Amino acid sequence: MKYDGRRVAFYAITLWAAVSLNFLIPRMLPGDPAQILLGKLARNGDVTPAVEKNVELILGGSDEPLWNQYWAYLDNIVHGDLGISVSKYPEPVWDLIKDALPWTLCLVGAATIIAFAIGIVGGAWIGWKRGSAWDHVIPFTALLQSVPYFWLAILLVYFLGMKLGLAPISWGWDVQTYDHPEWTWASVVDVFQHAVLPALTIVLSAVGGWLVGMRNMMVSTLAEDYIVTAEAKGLRPRRVLWVYAVRNAALPSFAGFAVALAFVVSGSLVMEQVFSYPGIGKLMITAVSNADYALMQGVFLLTTVAVLVVNFLMDLIYGYIDPRTRHHG
Amino acid sequence: MIRSTRRRSVVVAVALASGVSLLLAGCGGGSKGAETSTKASTEKPTGVANSTRVLNVWAGSMTPIVSNFNPFSPNVLHAAMGPIYEPLFAFNKAGSGDPTPLLGESYEFSADGTSLTIKVKSGVKWSDGDPFTAKDVAYTYNYAFSKPAYITSAEATDDTTVVLKFDSPQFTNEFSLLGTTFIIPEHIWKDVKDPAKFTNDDPVGTGPYVLKKGSVSSQAYTVVANPNFRDAAQGKPAVKTVRYVGLDGNQNAEDLVKQGKIDWTGMFVPDVDAVTALGIGYINTPQDPTTIYTCSNADQGCTGAQTDKAVRQALTVAIDRKQINDKAFKGLGAVVSPTFALLGRDDKWITNDAWKESPQSADAAAAAKILEDAGYTKGSDGFYAKDGKTVSLTLKSPSGWTDYNQAAELIASEAKAAGIKITASTISEQEYFDARGSGKYELLMGGVVGTSVADPFQIYKDWFAGFSTTKVGTPLKASTWNFSRYSNADVDAAVKAAASTNDEAKRKEQYAVIQKNIVDDLPYIPVIINATQTFFNQKDFSGWPTQDDLYMFPPSWGSVSSGVILANLVPLS
Repeated sequence: MKYDGRRVAFYAITLWAAVSLNFLIPRMLPGDPAQILLGKLARNGDVTPAVEKNVELILGGSDEPLWNQYWAYLDNIVHGDLGISVSKYPEPVWDLIKDALPWTLCLVGAATIIAFAIGIVGGAWIGWKRGSAWDHVIPFTALLQSVPYFWLAILLVYFLGMKLGLAPISWGWDVQTYDHPEWTWASVVDVFQHAVLPALTIVLSAVGGWLVGMRNMMVSTLAEDYIVTAEAKGLRPRRVLWVYAVRNAALPSFAGFAVALAFVVSGSLVMEQVFSYPGIGKLMITAVSNADYALMQGVFLLTTVAVLVVNFLMDLIYGYIDPRTRHHG
Repeated sequence: MIRSTRRRSVVVAVALASGVSLLLAGCGGGSKGAETSTKASTEKPTGVANSTRVLNVWAGSMTPIVSNFNPFSPNVLHAAMGPIYEPLFAFNKAGSGDPTPLLGESYEFSADGTSLTIKVKSGVKWSDGDPFTAKDVAYTYNYAFSKPAYITSAEATDDTTVVLKFDSPQFTNEFSLLGTTFIIPEHIWKDVKDPAKFTNDDPVGTGPYVLKKGSVSSQAYTVVANPNFRDAAQGKPAVKTVRYVGLDGNQNAEDLVKQGKIDWTGMFVPDVDAVTALGIGYINTPQDPTTIYTCSNADQGCTGAQTDKAVRQALTVAIDRKQINDKAFKGLGAVVSPTFALLGRDDKWITNDAWKESPQSADAAAAAKILEDAGYTKGSDGFYAKDGKTVSLTLKSPSGWTDYNQAAELIASEAKAAGIKITASTISEQEYFDARGSGKYELLMGGVVGTSVADPFQIYKDWFAGFSTTKVGTPLKASTWNFSRYSNADVDAAVKAAASTNDEAKRKEQYAVIQKNIVDDLPYIPVIINATQTFFNQKDFSGWPTQDDLYMFPPSWGSVSSGVILANLVPLS
């Protein structure tokens, strides 16, 4: 219990610090939101005087001292109010996040799980067959990982989307058939089709990391005495592989996986941009390029809380799995 | 131990199975996608029931799209401006003819320019069926958000006549008053409590289209033909459904245009031939000058060598505009005039033939002469200096605006050949907008917004007049764009004098004064006129603006003009 209490206090302080930084960092960015918005509007032709007047009204800026702004900010967060986005004025930040979050969770979440599963199983297999031709898979996936993400996405769009016409290249669903995704079989299939290329991009670029980590852990685990013992006992190789080797080798990867899952909520900036896919990453881009503090804070807060919660859960679970951590935690 | 092992393996198995099935579902989906897409593409050319063919438009909206049809909001969606709400007249940015009447019929300024009498059409209805009258027009010009400060009164004298009175002559605000003020229905807007926060999710307008209810998503929204449109009896608009989509990148949009999934868009595409080879219609109507902004005025707080007129004059002859156009702008730009009149459209306003075009090739010798005459001497490093200070300037452009970035690099190397040291660097968009707004810069690559009528006056007033600028460090006021901090008493007086007359000869006299000064002072060094590219589906729709019949400014993002074009399109069967 004492261990849990310490942990809770630690996380409470971390959360407060993160939330405060969250307030400060956007305000240190250069740029006046009104000037940016007017500049962008002017790039697309006429800015009517009525609109300019409105921009000044909306973005007139707060003359409140920073300290008062900070208290108001904390107060709003406690009440679950994330404020109003200025770049999508007058849309509340929470509504923007609420619309984007399911897409991000499903697509980036599923892709992360798939990449992890392939990485662990594949890594285990390659580690098991170390020294065989399978080892050549490793440099190939490492290459995929080192290719700039953006470039990989463009290549997939070009070959699979444009040349072969295998999958749609934009949007989360077929906007030319459905105004909104529906709970019908055809629409669900359609949503899956639109997820193919975005998910493939994430999987291809992420799988290499899991694969190489798992393979190396397998190789060192297989050298352990208990594996030799198991083999000497005459256990079937399959049992030695899955029950003795993989279970132990996968432990470090699972810790990394938890963090990767936590970061799922921040979306995937490049993927969402290239495929015009709905998601949280897009909100981040919009927020940063328009100096939209409220939206930026909302997205940061979401990510911060998700990472902390997952870490907290991991800590608690580890504390019970491995009693040693309780005394050193 | 054994039990927990088994449980764990079950969990792993489930995780794997779900992962694999997801993957399979994804792959299966992919192959089905191919089937449906090929089916769609084989169906299209047969032209079955083509009048139901939806026109898909990308007007530059990025996702997520958020419902907002308030024409006074900066985040208003494109369909509100033209297709749903209309001003009284549509001015053609791409031509020099008379404005097209929309809700208006005719208008006349009083001789002194302080009052404007507008006749509006009769028998027009709002999309909810209520009649539109001159009262709605008067209401709009009195409405706090749309009322310009110079209007003293707006009154409907009968059902089809509105009289606007001003505190000073307003000849030059003809376009702003008649061509950009979207007329709103009094019976709806009088109940709007907070117009700044009003998103107007159920817009009632007079334009050819109305919003399809419930169609707004984060990715797209749809408008359908307005049954109460004034030309509905003539079958207009003939294209019954138009879908506006959101996209996050030009590459994405270009791919969709090639796939035939977008029928109309205006965006920069470097390799035009790859698109037109597929039979897609294309038109380029260059409009907006690209320049080098110089913080030119030491009196207003500008610092750096560019505050000396001689340096700016040397720079303008030192750069190779043809090369910049070919390399940075893919040869798609047009020749710029140092008078900022748009060549071809505004020729009659250019008061001296010598000022028609900015030099198209680099002339390092001429640049050297200008600098030497002004007392500069060439140092051993090959750069000119005066009073021991080498001419060394930074030319900044926003990172990611690749055409500007490349142009800046070219300008830097061309200036070097002429003995002027320029360092090209990129900054974030935020820093860029900040720098030009506050005046804390030496040189910036920057655009000047082209005028929407065949007259460069708006540029002279908003970009060159001393009353349109502020001291360095103070951001510019709304509706003023004089980032160069240029201030010249002769220009200011001429701008004011030109504003108070509608007589062409008298205005030309004033323009001659303005042009003489700005061609010599060069607070903005003109580079080229930017390309404005439009791509359109000419297989399934006709009635697009062409070079021969440029009845409206063609791009899909054009405010007002897009509504006129949509109403003019005809589906081909």
